[in-house]
Amino acid sequence: MFRQLLRNAKERLRLFLSECGRRARVLRDSLRRQPNRIDPSSRFFQGFRCGYWEREARGLQLLKEWLSPEELAQYDAKSYFEVTGCHSGKRYRISHGTSMNIHELDGGGQPCVGWCFAPTGYLVAGDVMLSQKIALETNERGALAVANKFSVPTGRRNMHLHY
Amino acid sequence: MATQIVMDRTGDTRHNFDAKNADALLRAEERFRELTGAGFTAAVRTASGEAVVKRTFDPNAEETLFFPRLVGG
Repeated sequence: MFRQLLRNAKERLRLFLSECGRRARVLRDSLRRQPNRIDPSSRFFQGFRCGYWEREARGLQLLKEWLSPEELAQYDAKSYFEVTGCHSGKRYRISHGTSMNIHELDGGGQPCVGWCFAPTGYLVAGDVMLSQKIALETNERGALAVANKFSVPTGRRNMHLHY
Repeated sequence: MATQIVMDRTGDTRHNFDAKNADALLRAEERFRELTGAGFTAAVRTASGEAVVKRTFDPNAEETLFFPRLVGG
């Protein structure tokens, strides 16, 4: 029971930190675009407080409706699911998150390179992951053309990545 | 009842419409054109559960999902 509680707390903390990171990027981009007009007081922070978990839950529900039974089982068990790119046939692991959460897998099923792309605007994690899945499965080249590539640390290639 | 699901900051917004109603169908087609024109990608699921991107409005689609343009993160 204690382990379950710990797991739930860890999951909530991960979601919260992921959201904080995304909010920070949104704020940073806003400041870059309109440095004199940003008002960080009301709407931005109110929006963060109000309905955060509801929005996250809606996004995850939509994601789960669109995952195959195998993908859903994998996601429920490991917080990631794997999809096949429509052009190359390569496998990609999409971990729970909104950025830097896609890893291309090598022949042995280990992460070998990371890809970062996401829909524009503020979307919850479930929506982002679903967009990434559909993009890789229907327009892999187009998705990777806009994506930023990042390397996976050598030490982590032989371990399962959990976010 | 058919549904158009648009991803947004609330999670998603769902537009239900009767595909047998000509007016509702017209509005749905207009929404499809507006969203795809704004850069959204429209996708539907096949009977086997596979996602397929739609470039034109499909009046027979029971559920169409729209997500915004992708950018590098």
